[in-house]
Amino acid sequence: STRWSLLRRRPLSSSPNAAPTVGPGPLEPPDLPRLANSARISLSPQEAEEFAPKIQQVVDWFGQLQAVDLESIEPSLRADTAAGSSLREDKAEPFANRDAIIEALPSYDDPYIKVPNALTKE
Amino acid sequence: MPPPLQAHRMLLSHRRASPIPRRRFTAVSSLSSAPAKTLAPGPPASSILSIRESLLSGERTAADITSEYLSRLRRTEPSLRSFIHVAAAAAEREAEELDRRIASGGRDAVGPLAGVLVGVKDNLCTASMPSTGGSRILDGFQPAYDATAVRRLREAGAIVVGKTNLDEFGMGSTTEGSGFQVTTNPWDDSRVPGGSSGGSASAVSARQCVVSLGSDTGGSVRQPASFCGVVGLKPTYGRVSRFGLMAYASSLDVVGCFGSSVFDTATILSVIAGHDKMDSTSSSHDVPDYRSDLASLSLLESKPLNNVRIGIIQETLGEGVDAGVISSIRSAASHLEQLGSVVEEVSMPSFSLGLPAYYILASSEASSNLSRYDGIRYGQQVSADDLNEMYGDSRANGLGHEVKMRILMGTYALSAGYYDAYYKRAQQVRTLVKKSFEEALGKYDILISPAAPSAAYKIGMVLSAHL
Repeated sequence: STRWSLLRRRPLSSSPNAAPTVGPGPLEPPDLPRLANSARISLSPQEAEEFAPKIQQVVDWFGQLQAVDLESIEPSLRADTAAGSSLREDKAEPFANRDAIIEALPSYDDPYIKVPNALTKE
Repeated sequence: MPPPLQAHRMLLSHRRASPIPRRRFTAVSSLSSAPAKTLAPGPPASSILSIRESLLSGERTAADITSEYLSRLRRTEPSLRSFIHVAAAAAEREAEELDRRIASGGRDAVGPLAGVLVGVKDNLCTASMPSTGGSRILDGFQPAYDATAVRRLREAGAIVVGKTNLDEFGMGSTTEGSGFQVTTNPWDDSRVPGGSSGGSASAVSARQCVVSLGSDTGGSVRQPASFCGVVGLKPTYGRVSRFGLMAYASSLDVVGCFGSSVFDTATILSVIAGHDKMDSTSSSHDVPDYRSDLASLSLLESKPLNNVRIGIIQETLGEGVDAGVISSIRSAASHLEQLGSVVEEVSMPSFSLGLPAYYILASSEASSNLSRYDGIRYGQQVSADDLNEMYGDSRANGLGHEVKMRILMGTYALSAGYYDAYYKRAQQVRTLVKKSFEEALGKYDILISPAAPSAAYKIGMVLSAHL
């Protein structure tokens, strides 16, 4: 849509982690490899290519919300559930079925959940 | 014998004849007795009551009833594929156990749902059965606990017959998004049952079980109910505990139910609803007895809906809606008028904004909720040399295409600096939509719309189910 092409400007900072400005400023188009990394989903370059236009299409469709006047409209953060305090007593309660939790673990070496190397050079 | 498959004239909520100030419709029944004996003669409107009467009178055993449903299930499953998992042996055992308790304890042993076979959508945790969420990433996973809704049904005497098929993690509207199988519509096996609770809808529609549980985030109980010709109920958010429901969008998800009659559906809701300390979003509002507001047709005055004002949401009958659907809604409106109500069209212009707002909220929340599927604590793990690779590969391997799409969408919408543009904006639109409903419900007691813009699609027709 035309609105999107107007927004496609280079951000001031070239760092991938710079927060883009919003409102009249530019919203970066989806960067699939970066998103896939954040979401911890391995995508082949081919898959990234497949997903990108679909995601772009949906993002463009989201654009219609930018046009709505939302001045002084509060975001709906909570449903009315007549909840008093939603906190329970701070008292430890042992869970009755630990065995099933342990049973479900793919890699277990009592008492450790085994994972590969967590320290990578990045 | 289960009631025939035709649509029943529903039991209607009875309203006092004297004028009541216009407000949100709450049915007030002047009938004091339990509905059981006030049902009109003819095929029972309630399978649950019919089972209950058979057990109490000794006319049938639970084992016999279970065997009848299981035999029908087995006969129809090769074509329907409603179930990812069937627990036939456990169901038979529970039925026999119930018969023993009835033999020794009599009436007391017959809980409100005794002998009632229930199908449970596979995104609801069941401790004794695998629970996959419709996803390969949870293939083989067996939870450590029952979802609260499941536990409450069991405590009432229900027998869980199996786990029904769904679009993966609730994302989809045809059940074609399941990681395991495609369920067919019992009315036409070339068509989808709808989704995401497609298996739960088809199972009840084909009488493979009496009632079923589903979940609804953006229509996933209502639409398959419509496609399969059964009653589907999406309760108000917070009415039923979400504990044990695999989360998709936490601010939208609800546990819902299916039945072949309004009475059965109301019975299920009465059993599963109510505050749960295990769900901090569950409502503390009192739970009424939903069934006591339902009255037999024969006991109602000729215009039981006098003074009721009904609004048809104009935007839901517009462009893109099948002529057949529009005509059905208009016939229903005529019928409601004959029953004494006033039916008008009402425009809700913010309605159309609801869809993109929903999608932003749902994908954003899903991207967070589904981060737990990392191959470490449960489910399928792909081995790798480092942890991030293990996460990445396990998720790539186990999660389906649609789920990945929505996670990536949500990750984008929640990226640093984008909160104001997307998520917050969607929440503000949500307020707008909410206000327009409140305004409309100030003028009308009930708002109606079709559950879907068409009848069930052909399998394969919805190629990329983005929405």
